[in-house]
Amino acid sequence: MLLRKMLRDIFENKGAYLACLVIIAMGLMIFTSFASVVQSLNVSQHEFYENQNFADGFVQVAGIPPGAVAKLGDIEGIRDIQGRLVKDVTLWQPESPENIYLRLISVDPGEANPINGVLLSQGRPLQKSAREMWLDNQFFAAHNLSLNDQLEIIAAGRRQRLTVVGTGSSPEFVYALRSMADIYPDPETFGIGFVPWDTVQTIFPGTVSFNELVFTMKPGAEFETVREELERQLAPYGLISIIPREEQVSHQLLQMEIDGVESMSTAMPVMFLSIAAMILYITLKRLIEQQRGQIGILKADGYSNGEILRHYLSYALFIGLVGGIAGSLMGSLFAYPITGIYQDFFNLPAFTAVFSPFYFISGVILSVVFALLAGYQGAKKVLSLEPAEAMRPPAPIAGKRIFLEKFSILWRLLNTQGRMAVRNLTRNKGRSLFILFGIMICFAISSFTWSMNDIFQKMLYDQYEKVEVYDLKVTFSQPLKQESVLRELRSNEGVQRVEPMAEVPVTLKHQWHEQDVVIIGVLPDSKLYNILDSNYNRLEPPENGILLSERLAGLLNATVGTTLSLESPLKPDDRENTVVVAGIVPQYVGMNAYMEISSLQRAIKEPGLTTSAMVNMDRKAIPAFKEKYQAAGNIAAIEENGLRLSKMKELMDTYGSMIYLYALIGVIIGFAIIYSSSVITIAERERELASMMVLGMTPEEVLSVVTFEQWCIGIPALILGIPVAKGMMGSFGQLLNSDLLTMPTTLSSWAMFLAFAVTAASIWIAQRAAARKIRGFSLSEVLKSRE
Amino acid sequence: MQQGGKIVGNSLMTAENLSKFYQMGEVTVKALKEASFQLYEGELVVVLGPSGSGKSTLLNIIGGMDRPTGGKLFYRGKPLHQAGDKELTLYRRHQVGFVFQFYNLMPNLTALENINLSVQIASDPLSPTELLAKVGLADRADHFPSQLSGGEQQRVALARALAKNPKLLLCDEPTGALDYSTSIQVLELLKEACEAYAKTVVIITHNTAIAQMAHRVFYLKDGKLERIEENQTPLSPEKVTW
Repeated sequence: MLLRKMLRDIFENKGAYLACLVIIAMGLMIFTSFASVVQSLNVSQHEFYENQNFADGFVQVAGIPPGAVAKLGDIEGIRDIQGRLVKDVTLWQPESPENIYLRLISVDPGEANPINGVLLSQGRPLQKSAREMWLDNQFFAAHNLSLNDQLEIIAAGRRQRLTVVGTGSSPEFVYALRSMADIYPDPETFGIGFVPWDTVQTIFPGTVSFNELVFTMKPGAEFETVREELERQLAPYGLISIIPREEQVSHQLLQMEIDGVESMSTAMPVMFLSIAAMILYITLKRLIEQQRGQIGILKADGYSNGEILRHYLSYALFIGLVGGIAGSLMGSLFAYPITGIYQDFFNLPAFTAVFSPFYFISGVILSVVFALLAGYQGAKKVLSLEPAEAMRPPAPIAGKRIFLEKFSILWRLLNTQGRMAVRNLTRNKGRSLFILFGIMICFAISSFTWSMNDIFQKMLYDQYEKVEVYDLKVTFSQPLKQESVLRELRSNEGVQRVEPMAEVPVTLKHQWHEQDVVIIGVLPDSKLYNILDSNYNRLEPPENGILLSERLAGLLNATVGTTLSLESPLKPDDRENTVVVAGIVPQYVGMNAYMEISSLQRAIKEPGLTTSAMVNMDRKAIPAFKEKYQAAGNIAAIEENGLRLSKMKELMDTYGSMIYLYALIGVIIGFAIIYSSSVITIAERERELASMMVLGMTPEEVLSVVTFEQWCIGIPALILGIPVAKGMMGSFGQLLNSDLLTMPTTLSSWAMFLAFAVTAASIWIAQRAAARKIRGFSLSEVLKSRE
Repeated sequence: MQQGGKIVGNSLMTAENLSKFYQMGEVTVKALKEASFQLYEGELVVVLGPSGSGKSTLLNIIGGMDRPTGGKLFYRGKPLHQAGDKELTLYRRHQVGFVFQFYNLMPNLTALENINLSVQIASDPLSPTELLAKVGLADRADHFPSQLSGGEQQRVALARALAKNPKLLLCDEPTGALDYSTSIQVLELLKEACEAYAKTVVIITHNTAIAQMAHRVFYLKDGKLERIEENQTPLSPEKVTW
């Protein structure tokens, strides 16, 4: 019988319970889906690394003969070290508008325990000397290839055929980026090809040495000591860099993503459940006040405290159970599309969506526990009610003077309705704070997400619309002399402007800080590459001196005027050069330093060195230009800026839908809080509000008391939401900032405006619901009865 | 019209065959059946009847809180039975003052502020402080309802109802929650409102003793207005006993 009473009570106050239910379900949905995705990601990452013998360190050298590698294995702490040749080539695809790149990696088919071994998904092992290769799964799928297809690559200035005999994945390319500037993997234009070492030697005639080493370490070995010893022994081979696994691009990004999802899978549900618990608490507390009489009757009838408490807890249990099951169920289903998205980006073979009974059940338990705790807090008052006391009406609510009344000038500005509203705010401080919190969250989440959207667009589009404004970038396979190459490129039809660019990897040092970065050298009056300050003013690279990106300056602890030492791997035995910091500039994508090209060339003692050229040309002449140079041996890549930008925009569109999802979550939370609390407020004050109507106030006038009160909370809450949103951006920025991206943390005014509008609209809609309730009051009914 | 030896005013309200039916599930409750009567300016009417006789229904309809299902109701010649929500609100705002059994004061407004609340929406209000003095609560102006006794709360409610300077003062069991001596104080104030401020006062009660102070008494039973009695010699409240 009590069950029926509970269901009817819930139905009667469906607004507040529904809000609560929706929030619980959403929290749980996020929890189960993300937690099971994280679990699956973690397990498959760990297994994959383990099984494929993922390297602990990566070394780049100018060249080391295979015979010299084995000796390095004797270094203390190294378990195994293997050499390989890594070369980027382009695919011969005349009909494709964009270049397709393959990173060829030499493998030793005879090696029993290869480091970064390829996990073959289909096909057969590679045979020594055969003109064949394995491709990574993503690239293979993106190009609709089948086994035994032949691909034509351009290497050493010639078109050469390789047969695809298998596909697989490597722990090194779980997140396969061509370069740091790419941000997201694009299997359409970039793939990995694994080729037998002796075949590589025939593809690039004259190749005798490896340019990369990968090594694993013995348990307990220190990377730093290994690095020092390697540095010493590799110096004669032109050591370029040694990085630990933690800095390897694919691993770093995968780990960052796992950590991000993991923190989201705990923080978000806790926030949602706390909000739902708060709504449940308020609703139940209110219900019990309202049902004092009924409780008294039940007690008088002989129901025990425990039975009555259980009855009211059943409301919470019902909401917690329904919300928990619905949310966990949705989450379990939602895990599939999320896994799908990750599968697109991360090449982790064992990574699949699994229904996780553990997270399903723990989700439901979590929800029920939260609900019961909230329910108990709300309902515990029934225990202390004596039956006779319960049947008497509650003592009238004590009106009190409030602090503000001491400021009589301000106080006098308010009319009686205004004073009533302001005093009401303090009458139920907990609830006022809750509404404040709800509106603040609603505003902060929506302005934060929209700002993120703006910022990503700014970060990415600015780079290709305002900074790199050339049409084409021609990257050479090895540094070339400036004059001859510019002359050659200028001679093509349709070419309007050609500028040289030098991208030189260096090590910059200041005090004990040290960073490996690429210095970009451009002409002082470059028209194709703009170095911008934060107000989009063009900066000229100084004749002498270096411009650092903000993040780099921070990492080097450098300010304008700091002298840095500069070491170039191109001249390893040279003594160190110094360069003075001339300025610090914002840079969102990548982390670079800038110099005027000729002073860069002087600094590394390579006059006239250029690594790429930027070209502006007639759009119609581009295909012919690309065709002419595609097979050229000393050209590694031709990138078209327009294509890059449109790809970026495509990606941002998918990303944009995620942003709207988050914004929607924010709005739902805010709306649920505002709506449920205003519904409760109305129910609680039914009698008061009805009395005002009997006095002859219109429903609008009565509503205005309630709305004035809400705006009194709402406006400060909106203002408080600004620092909260900024804080969210700050901590999100910290999480995201890397050598790849530096996130600006300014809250865009458009985002704030949108968030303001959305939040205000939520408040307004909740007030419409209140207005409907007020109009529906039956005055005679409300006033006839005692409370 | 001649009443108790003195002339009272013109007709204020005319009801013709007023009915009110409620649909409660499958049962139709006939709360009021074809009641016809007049209310005059400046008279004090007591409506008597047992619980469920339709007293409150009648009061709600007269007060513009509810609409009749059948019949006609005119206030100074204007039809109220056809009035919309807006007209009824304006009618309540300018013509009617209510006093309830449980006071219905705003808990977080002081006594004076409660009166001001109704002054704010009135077109021709009386002075709140004078009224408060009149009901003997000048020194309690800054007290909140929770700091006042039941009788004091009811006097504030009465002052609030009078403050709008309405023509019609409707009281639903105004002494129902009060002890005897406090009740007499409230009744004296109602009598004074009727005489000094020339209000038409309608009191509904099941306390038959109160009928002794009325100019006229309406007897309701089972939703029917059984009879209207004129009282040639209304007693002053202090002489009423129960």
